[in-house]
Amino acid sequence: MADKIGLTTTIPVEIVYAAGKIPVDLNNLFITCDAPGRLVDRAEQAGYPRNICGWIKGLYTTLLEQESLRQVIAVTQGDCSNTHALMETWQVAGVAVIPFAFPYDRDADLLRLQMEKLMQLLGADWEAVGRWKKRLDQVRKKAHEIDRLTWEAGVVDGQTNHLALVGCSDFNGDPDAYEAYLDGIIAEAARNSTQGLAGDRQAVRLAYVGVPPIVSDLYSYVESMGARVVFNEVQRQFAMPFDEDDIIEQYRRYTYPYSIFDRIDDINREVARRRVDGIIHYTQSFCYRQIEDIILRQRTAVPVLTLEGDRPGPLDARSRMRIDAFLDMLAR
Amino acid sequence: MKIGLDLGSRYVKAVFMEDGRLVDYRCYDTLAFYREYGRKVDGELVVDYERLGWPTGAAITSTGYGRNLVKLAGGQVIPELRAHTRGAIFQTGLSDFTLLDLGGQDSKVIKVAGGRMVDFRTNDKCAASSGRYLENMAAVLAMDVAALGECRDEPVELSSTCAVFGESELIGQIIEGHPIEHLAAGVNRTIVKRVEPMLRELYSPVVVFTGGVARNQAIRAMLEDALPVQVILPAYPQLNGAIGCAV
Repeated sequence: MADKIGLTTTIPVEIVYAAGKIPVDLNNLFITCDAPGRLVDRAEQAGYPRNICGWIKGLYTTLLEQESLRQVIAVTQGDCSNTHALMETWQVAGVAVIPFAFPYDRDADLLRLQMEKLMQLLGADWEAVGRWKKRLDQVRKKAHEIDRLTWEAGVVDGQTNHLALVGCSDFNGDPDAYEAYLDGIIAEAARNSTQGLAGDRQAVRLAYVGVPPIVSDLYSYVESMGARVVFNEVQRQFAMPFDEDDIIEQYRRYTYPYSIFDRIDDINREVARRRVDGIIHYTQSFCYRQIEDIILRQRTAVPVLTLEGDRPGPLDARSRMRIDAFLDMLAR
Repeated sequence: MKIGLDLGSRYVKAVFMEDGRLVDYRCYDTLAFYREYGRKVDGELVVDYERLGWPTGAAITSTGYGRNLVKLAGGQVIPELRAHTRGAIFQTGLSDFTLLDLGGQDSKVIKVAGGRMVDFRTNDKCAASSGRYLENMAAVLAMDVAALGECRDEPVELSSTCAVFGESELIGQIIEGHPIEHLAAGVNRTIVKRVEPMLRELYSPVVVFTGGVARNQAIRAMLEDALPVQVILPAYPQLNGAIGCAV
């Protein structure tokens, strides 16, 4: 069986597949396990501070508890700087850490160099990477179709959209099976469509921007209150929503690891195209992205609700109250 | 007869209104209210109106912190911020203002324009700008909350980060030998510092101040010092949410 290799966030995953290895996005493993809260507790018992992001703590324990994972690609630039200390605590525990940096200024040469170093280290060549890009783009196209079925046709709900897109960071380690999973969603949407089961056209249309939520019931709660999430910003980026043949350009156009301004351009474009009424900006407690919230609020055209999540679990009463108030405000 | 019920984190407030006029009101300690008058049946809160001595047959609308936790059987429920907005409009007759509600555990700032809520901010996790914080700090200073609310001169600098840090910091300052009144003024000042950015962001020249903390006159005065605003105190600041349910 091929070696598994952990990821702390989306990286050029074509390289991992081209090297014959199986990528495992630790975020997905952490949040979908039976008791993600316990993993955060274990990191705190190991000495991780309480006032540090819950995702970092969850990732720490997730990797250590997976015996098949003794290698991880960690994004040292373009994601959270807490990752540096996360890497170091993993190293102490005997995990081999491979750093990967997205250049902040989106410099094409530096990005190419980073990718080539990763290829060299894992044992992949450009030819195989190109082949895998073509294959993964076929799967991504289906994720894009699910996204269209969400905002344009209204036959895929926000949670299904979130899951379909967010999984494109590693394709669950098996692109063929992932493609079949996406095909299943598209088939189900077609059935809904023929039965006239499109979502409520009068519903408040929301954008979800920011990192994927650590809370478990955000989508179901929002939809139970009569609103629909028609745009999942970062998740959509994970699915590389560009018609781009050049892999370097693809990872330059990918907005998440670069400045907030690139993200805001993308958000504003999609908010207009998808006729979004309001934005939920989700940030983790203690995250630097809470500072970026200032800019986001200034540069977007529709009302913004900032939600803060800390640990895994259901939404707390205060967050529900704030969502209620926001939807009430938008509906009127 | 209409009954408006605000299920707050510290107090449950009930107002009784007839023909748009407040005829009576009651306040209950939240824990005692749930313990003595309520029970949960199939996820809904069933309130023993008879024991409460409330008029029977009145239409009941509720809101508040408990809104998400319990649905009142037989009653209508409205979102908390809508209730507060409606209450403030009813009480002041204004339609353009910024509402500042500082309650038992949380703070809300709502911008109202043309009689509608157009934006809002609320504190997230920390209770540092709430009534609970003032109660704790008053206890540390061995004074009652009303006396604390009169202290505004020479505020001692305290951090406004967190209610729990604030308490140990305050004890440190007591040991430094500052007069109690200056420390109390410092406590009031931290509340103003916490809400000031929210009031600037959702600025209106008129601030309607509600919630239990609105009774603190030092905070009211400090707000007017810190910002170019006129602070208006409605007749029943603490009942504002309940009134908003009943109008």
